[in-house]
Amino acid sequence: MSNTPQARSDRAPQPIASEWTALKARKVSFAWEETPLHWLPGDPFTTHTINVLHLLLPAGERWFVHVYKQVLPYIEDEQLRADVIGFIGQEAMHSQAHDEVLPHLREQGLDPTPYTAQIDWFFEKLLGDRTLPPGRPRKWWLMERVALIAAIEHYTAFLGDWVLNADELDRRGADPTMLDLLRWHGAEEVEHRSVAFDLFLHVDGSYARRVRTWATAFSALVFLWQRGARFFMENDPTLVDGKASFKEFFAKGRQGVLPTAGAMVRSIPRYLNRAYHPSHEGSTQQAVAYLASSPAALAAEAREKGAA
Amino acid sequence: MPKIRTVVAVAGAALLVRKAVRSRMATAPLWPMPALETPVSGRPRGRAQRLRVADRTEVADGVVRLRLVPRDAAAGPLPAWEPGAHLDLVLPSGAVRQYSLCGDPADRTAYTVATRLIEDGRGGSREVHEKLAEGTEVEVRGPRNRFPLEPSHAYVFVAGGIGITPVLPMLRAAEASGALWQLVYAGRSRASMPFLDEVERLGRGGRGRVTVLAEDEDGRPDAAALFDGVPQAAAVYCCGPEGLMDAVAAALPHGSALHLERFTPAAATAGSTAFEVELRRTGGTVAVAADETVLAAVRKKLPDVAYSCEQGFCGTCQLRVVAGEVDHRDELLTDEERRDSMLVCVSRARGAKLVLDL
Repeated sequence: MSNTPQARSDRAPQPIASEWTALKARKVSFAWEETPLHWLPGDPFTTHTINVLHLLLPAGERWFVHVYKQVLPYIEDEQLRADVIGFIGQEAMHSQAHDEVLPHLREQGLDPTPYTAQIDWFFEKLLGDRTLPPGRPRKWWLMERVALIAAIEHYTAFLGDWVLNADELDRRGADPTMLDLLRWHGAEEVEHRSVAFDLFLHVDGSYARRVRTWATAFSALVFLWQRGARFFMENDPTLVDGKASFKEFFAKGRQGVLPTAGAMVRSIPRYLNRAYHPSHEGSTQQAVAYLASSPAALAAEAREKGAA
Repeated sequence: MPKIRTVVAVAGAALLVRKAVRSRMATAPLWPMPALETPVSGRPRGRAQRLRVADRTEVADGVVRLRLVPRDAAAGPLPAWEPGAHLDLVLPSGAVRQYSLCGDPADRTAYTVATRLIEDGRGGSREVHEKLAEGTEVEVRGPRNRFPLEPSHAYVFVAGGIGITPVLPMLRAAEASGALWQLVYAGRSRASMPFLDEVERLGRGGRGRVTVLAEDEDGRPDAAALFDGVPQAAAVYCCGPEGLMDAVAAALPHGSALHLERFTPAAATAGSTAFEVELRRTGGTVAVAADETVLAAVRKKLPDVAYSCEQGFCGTCQLRVVAGEVDHRDELLTDEERRDSMLVCVSRARGAKLVLDL
């Protein structure tokens, strides 16, 4: 681009314009009665490793919305503001949709409350608004959380792209409702993957902060995820001596029912590259194509028409 | 090079720490993270469930009653409800319509709703009548209650036509509570009025008095006579066409509380009026025009107020209501949330003014 200062041109993030799409929340709804406890037949470990999403996302995405509501006054770009507003609604719906899975798990004898109550504490208290003096400390904490969300969104987009392409789940007969929830969510994550990062660049963009919050977000995700998988495996009423292990995680990655450890490691330097921009990863076209055929997204569209 | 003794000491200490952590986690697997005292996650506002139409009966001219049961007979009991509650039905076209529950709240194996076919309506009732045959499945949300029965020593119920549906469980509850009650049930003709037998049977129970007014036999109901001989400070519950509800509101005796259930759908824009919204924390008042949402009016003064879907389902624009009665038109908030908050993108004021915590 000719109008970009030469000194920065090779290091500054360059979004790909064609990956942009207008964002809107879809009023999806999932009925869970038919979904078995092990929705990937015969594979409790994979089922529960993916189920950790239902533990983290209701509180996590509610927290995204909470933080972004506060950042709106700092946005000076109308297009970005519209993107953030679309992003907020999509995240709110993700949180609601995953939250509705939890009572279904409880009915099947796997009560997630001991764990989700801790995740609630994590997002509402530890990462909540805190008692800070107004002015700089409060703004610092807000910017820190905006950067944390950008780092987490790097991983949600990574997972979204993975699940859209995880054909092995179909081959092994995964429950169609659960697969639709994961792919609808994954597709919207891919669709809005640039928003959190663009917002971070717009309101702060400091590289030191990007690295620092990435390290925090990555460690927290690994810690909470393995803990959640262990929790599910140990409390699953149908398993006698359920255990989750990293060894099994690597094996399932090789089989294609979970992301591979290699792909996850390779995504780290990409985020830390100064020229990183989320529009370089994943495909908006694929996401939009899935949403055009997703049973839940189609029903949401019909509902909108029916209400009009 | 560190001395061998140091290496052994560090390794030993690490092993001890590992053992201590493991034994601690064995007694309390979720140690060391604290938990939120009142958890938020895992308590969704509403859950969708698919129910099967187990029975479809025409209970009056143009009125069908549907009995909805879980698909799996072994499934646990359906969520409980109180008289006055309604269910959201997601019709095959995707349209969402609200129908009052008219069965017995103690029966946790089925929900019963009844709908009248409205020829020139928006198509919801036609779909229920034509598409929901016995054996078909339908997605429902709820139940929710916008028309709860408050404890009282005496009740007056006024039902017009299909408006009997939320009132029917109320009659049974009033009879069971030992209160005095009376019902005026108006309709076009006896043949078009559902549940007449049951209503008249309840009226013979002792504490209640039932008046049936069929327009083709008795003429239009006389609103002034509705409240003849009614005990002081009786609670009045009315569900029916707008004209009937206006007449009841006009004739309401002093000291009685009036509770209305409108047929108007959740997201209707018809009948919207202008009102004022006071922003308590910001200071000042904004005017909301009849064709404008509260959100649009507030954004003129506060452009950074958060919102997203603008259709009443994402919940981003939920605000606390300090004063004023709200006409809730969203499909999200629970009855409890509706007591002191609203979604400003769709909901409006019932009266002339709302005060928001903003």
